[in-house]
Amino acid sequence: MSKKLALLAAVATLACAAPVAAGNTLIPAGQRIAVAKSAMTVQPGTEWNKLSERPGRNAETWTQDGDELNDLSFYGGIESGRPLFREVDKKNRPLPKVSATMLITDIPVLLENSYRIARDASSMAIDTIAPIEFAGSKGVRFTYTFAKQNETLQRRGEARGAVIGGKLYLVTYEAPSLYYYDRSAAAARVVADSIRF
Amino acid sequence: MVGLLLASAIGTSALAADKRPPLPTYTQAYTPTTVDERGIWMEADERERVQRDSRSLIKDPALNAYVRGVLCRTVSEDRCRSVRLYIDEVPAFNAYMTPNGAMVVWTGLLLRVRSEAELGAILGHEFGHFELRHSLKDFKSHRTGTDVMAWASILIRNSANIQYSVVGQMYAFSRDQEREADMTGFQYLARSQYPSSAAADVWEHVMGEADATAIGRRGRAQHKYVAGVFATHPTDLARATYLRAASIEAHDVKPAVVDMHQAAMAKWLPVFLNDQIKLNDFGGSEYLLANLADGTGWTTPLLCARGDLYRERGNPRDLVSAAQFYQEAIGKGDAPPEAYRGLGLALLRSQQVAEGQAALATYLRLKPAATDAALIATLIS
Repeated sequence: MSKKLALLAAVATLACAAPVAAGNTLIPAGQRIAVAKSAMTVQPGTEWNKLSERPGRNAETWTQDGDELNDLSFYGGIESGRPLFREVDKKNRPLPKVSATMLITDIPVLLENSYRIARDASSMAIDTIAPIEFAGSKGVRFTYTFAKQNETLQRRGEARGAVIGGKLYLVTYEAPSLYYYDRSAAAARVVADSIRF
Repeated sequence: MVGLLLASAIGTSALAADKRPPLPTYTQAYTPTTVDERGIWMEADERERVQRDSRSLIKDPALNAYVRGVLCRTVSEDRCRSVRLYIDEVPAFNAYMTPNGAMVVWTGLLLRVRSEAELGAILGHEFGHFELRHSLKDFKSHRTGTDVMAWASILIRNSANIQYSVVGQMYAFSRDQEREADMTGFQYLARSQYPSSAAADVWEHVMGEADATAIGRRGRAQHKYVAGVFATHPTDLARATYLRAASIEAHDVKPAVVDMHQAAMAKWLPVFLNDQIKLNDFGGSEYLLANLADGTGWTTPLLCARGDLYRERGNPRDLVSAAQFYQEAIGKGDAPPEAYRGLGLALLRSQQVAEGQAALATYLRLKPAATDAALIATLIS
């Protein structure tokens, strides 16, 4: 009797779990692939999982162990007047919007302010900022740290971005500082290095 | 003459003391007595450990000593002695006290109050919750309420109305507690060296800021005159009104004391302003800055923060205003290098390239080791 029940429970669990997992896709290593519904393409050196849940309309997230543990997100051409990712509470806590006249220095600020509002990350800090070439354009590379409110876990991140033709292109990699960040940072950098249009 | 006045002041306060409601009884090293209270304390102890290790905790001894000083001067030295104080860097107006006697103050509160008295009013209110053991009473009220609802759903057909009224009573209980803590906080303030009118001032500014936020987001300013069935607190308007009435009735004329709030906040003001500016709340932040400037005038940190606020909203007219605020700050002579950075970026976005690059060059000259030096340099060349 108890075996039958256990079997039933297992079937029920699978039935519930299946539709959720169905949208996630494996990204094979070594193949060039378009990301974030944009002209941006990358070539990963290792396998990644693309999550079915997107952070926003022109965005997607890849992970190796789950998005709380390592999160590689692509924002592919966010237009002027749109927030970086989906609004959490548009009426009471609206997110800052991308602007076509943004300077290169405004890209880290946009990410920082969006995180501070959407994730209650009041201890967010941009640690280093440097100019880079982003797929042939003038871009910025920056690193940051933050913790969500009421969490003692510190997260680290690095991002590269540029405003090209009035649209924002950005790639972020973030993970808990402890263990996970270093574990997949190299794999994430291979992906970010391979960006092309 | 002064002696006579003083004597009469003491006389009236002594007379008034008889009429004032008594403060809660104070027990040193109070320990929980019942199983419920012990459970609540155990949970609070656990949360306090998390709070103690929080990354956003501000450990600056000077700021902690200042806030503790205000608490002690408000509720008296012996009562405040056992309180553990935690200042948390969260840019919102809030403070709370846990049932085991830990007080958590958010930096958004420190930024919004303009004097020791206003800070004391809020800390006194929270301390009132603690001394009146409100968490325990609220827990019991909820348990009784949910018990009644559970039994009603089994024993009585169509018990929805009963459940609705029970839930309503639970929230009404919470509002009563807030009122009680307001009045207890007021009693502390009235007995302290601070003017009791500060309690109502705080709530009036909270309402003003809420209106400014709503208008800034193209909404309508709205204040409820009556708290809804599911409101945990009385309306801000109600609080401002009954606290103002109480302060008029108390009529406490106290000798002015040197207020240390501005001095204690000086080091942290730019940090807390920065946290506020990054919230994308133009109306509320603008109101807050004007409110602070009302007390101190437009000082350099306030002007720089206002420049950042306008520059980040970034409409063409905002960029012109932002450049003016930075220039005013620079004109005062004590502006940080970041004022030149802000000025340069605002001018660049306004298509004033040469002037913008000159300002950025000044920034780099003043702060060659800035984190973003290399990036800013690319904007000049």
